[in-house]
Amino acid sequence: MVKNMLRWLKKSRSPDKLKNLPELIRNLKDSGDFLHHESKQKDSSFFIYYFKTLVHETELNDHILPYLVEKPLKTLQDIPERVPIPGVIISDDLKEICEKVMRGYVIIRLNANAKDCALIPSQVKKARAVTQPEVEFTVVGSKEAFVESLDTNMHLVRKRLPVHELKAYELTVGKLTNTKVVVLYLDGIANEENVNTVKQRLEDIKVDQIVDSSVLMQLITDNRNSPFPQLIDTERPDRVTSVLCEGKVVVLSDGSPQALIGPTTLVEFFSAFEDYFVNWIVASSARLIRIFAILFSILVTPVYVATLTYHYELIPKDLLGTLVSSRQRIPLPPILEAIFLELSIELLREAGARLPTKVGQTIGIVGGIVIGTASVEAGLTSNVLLIIVALSALASFTTPVYRMSNTIRLTRFPFLLFAHLWGLLGVTVCFSFLIAHLLKLKSLGRPFLEPLYPLRVQDLKDAIIRFPLKFQNKRPIHLQSEDTVRFTPVTEKEKNDFHE
Amino acid sequence: MAGPEVKDQYKVSPFLVFYLVHSVQVGVGVMGFQRISAEHAGNDAWISVLAAGLSLNVIIFLIYKIMMKEKGDLISLHQNLFGKWLGGFLSLIAIAYFIAMGITVLRTYIEVVQVWMFPDLNKWIFGTVFLLLVYYCLSGGFRVVAGISFFGVVLPFYLVLTMIFPLFYGHFRDLLPFFNHSIKEMYEGVKGASLSYLGFTTLFMYLPFIKEPEKSHRWAQGGHLLTVFIYTLVMITTLAFFSPEQLQKTIWATLTTWKIAEMPFVQRFEYIGIASWALVILPNLCITIWAGGRGIRRLSRISQRNVTIPILVFVLISSSLFARRESIDLLNEYTSKVGFFFVYVYVPFLFVVQYIKGKVDGAG
Repeated sequence: MVKNMLRWLKKSRSPDKLKNLPELIRNLKDSGDFLHHESKQKDSSFFIYYFKTLVHETELNDHILPYLVEKPLKTLQDIPERVPIPGVIISDDLKEICEKVMRGYVIIRLNANAKDCALIPSQVKKARAVTQPEVEFTVVGSKEAFVESLDTNMHLVRKRLPVHELKAYELTVGKLTNTKVVVLYLDGIANEENVNTVKQRLEDIKVDQIVDSSVLMQLITDNRNSPFPQLIDTERPDRVTSVLCEGKVVVLSDGSPQALIGPTTLVEFFSAFEDYFVNWIVASSARLIRIFAILFSILVTPVYVATLTYHYELIPKDLLGTLVSSRQRIPLPPILEAIFLELSIELLREAGARLPTKVGQTIGIVGGIVIGTASVEAGLTSNVLLIIVALSALASFTTPVYRMSNTIRLTRFPFLLFAHLWGLLGVTVCFSFLIAHLLKLKSLGRPFLEPLYPLRVQDLKDAIIRFPLKFQNKRPIHLQSEDTVRFTPVTEKEKNDFHE
Repeated sequence: MAGPEVKDQYKVSPFLVFYLVHSVQVGVGVMGFQRISAEHAGNDAWISVLAAGLSLNVIIFLIYKIMMKEKGDLISLHQNLFGKWLGGFLSLIAIAYFIAMGITVLRTYIEVVQVWMFPDLNKWIFGTVFLLLVYYCLSGGFRVVAGISFFGVVLPFYLVLTMIFPLFYGHFRDLLPFFNHSIKEMYEGVKGASLSYLGFTTLFMYLPFIKEPEKSHRWAQGGHLLTVFIYTLVMITTLAFFSPEQLQKTIWATLTTWKIAEMPFVQRFEYIGIASWALVILPNLCITIWAGGRGIRRLSRISQRNVTIPILVFVLISSSLFARRESIDLLNEYTSKVGFFFVYVYVPFLFVVQYIKGKVDGAG
């Protein structure tokens, strides 16, 4: 079946199978939206072909056709001279013609049997208006987010970085979708090796369709068998600008409102872009809270299971009383109790994500409160664990990058199993597995755990604590930037005394 | 035989030697070295611990002297000094010693877990899972091994703080009078103490994996000094906390002191301590088994991946065969004896042989 389809595709679509231009045009006429008509003048005539769904027809009528008919056309060479639109091509290469016409070019031929033709660009550019960021909303800061159009996205970045060093390497990926993908980087700042790695990996992609940059991300990531994302995706043009200035590489793909950023590190997933908009003390405390939240989210339910299954002695008398009285009527062992609650939270989340927004909220509130209270009253779970599970679910949502919070919630389950197996010892063993896994990960060939391992004190300035902007005057070492100095801070001499 | 060639991308920074040396030293030893050390030296045991530690600084210095001249690892050193056959034989013994260290560490840790946490822990299953973890680390190459030893030092470091609790109950007068033991007794104490310092001889194997190895010398000394500091601290606390007779009956003195730690939300701290200790044991096993596998790979043409799995299976089987307390004690004693000999006799011997050979070659 698939083979047949492929063969059919090859036979009908591939321009190498078509012998000449007339044949190509005959083939294109199979589609209803492919228009063709002949313009007959006194002493000259020409044929015009285009897809009406791809071409801006007003533009065609107002800015192209009048120039073509004002004087008789002698040769195709006249067309680029007359039509005041840049990018007019004359070609007899079937593959190019086919590609261009599918991208909204208009074909002009002088007679019905000609082998060559002129191609005039007149694409319709329909794009959603630039809107507010939904996923990475910040209270302060820019309210622009990427949209599905590559040109708009490029515009959003370019207007923020009006320098000629900003290079955009373009290529198409996907045998069928022919998606335009752009690699953005600052020449002379981004490490050439990083840029080449991205280009190479994009060029090596062999798939038929790229519908979103997330697909691209899975295809160019370093370790595809890891639940941890190794590239950050963002919808904020200002974040893209900021990482470009750091020396990172950005990948934009047509049809996707998400840009990919690499190389990245684990700590970057826990830094929100808002951290740069507020004072460094506030930002750093927010980061510390987030890191605490992650550890809490991963470890607290497993530790509960471990302690209540094996290590009652760990808990002081008074606290044990509270725990025991809450678990008095529970017939299930802690592990089943925990898995039951964790799964119901996951169910709520998944249902909320699939349902339309308004229904989703209702389900969240009703489901959360009703199921929670009912299961405690029914004696299926203890209310202490209910609090713990709800808190840890909440904590997992503090991660600024959505992808990472999914991973964090997933990581909890192996921890739970290990905790049930060997108590706290199991938790440590599982934690060691996690560390070993993170140690092995790389992002575009650069260590993922940097700056913690390999320990680079200089890069710690923007890791767990965000130091004042004054100290951010060097580019991170792990990017191996070709220009390591961002700026030289002006050191104002202050009077070394109290104010009088 | 020339030294091994290691590509730059697999090398780690010299500063990590600090963690590599420290993490391989602090293993199961620190849980109960006090009894052995105090057996002869009594209340002066902390002096013995300090003296043993400082004497090993000299040995590390010698190792660096040897290796900087050799520019290779232990295998090439043996080959160059003793020829292919004798050198290879000596290398095999060293490899066996590294693997035996791994076995000892794993078995002793499992014993601690069995005695203190889970009396019915299945040593086969736990050993398998733990060795799988080791394999997972080793498969990432030396870079990951160094990373594990970094985290194996940094993450459980908070345990040093737990030594505060016994201080509240300690009697520091017990340490007085200083130097009330004979030189012989002190020497026995040094011997007992030095056992818990062993393991840093793996330096011989991984030095080629360090960028600019000469710069790593001070880090190696530093890592060792941190061990000396921690051991001396633990020894002083233990001597203050236990009476001499009580200490002689306590096999794992450090674990016993943890029992008194109490906080509003947690008591019986030894459960947390022993569980965290898995993170300390892991780099120990990783480094020793890595050193063993690396040695075999250097001696033969077998790849390290292919040789690691049999080594791990061997470690699992042989460590599980030691079932009784006495046999585990015996295992510990023998590995320690070999290690003691390796460090205090064999390293200086290598240094002398290399020196003489250098002179002879230079003259001829």
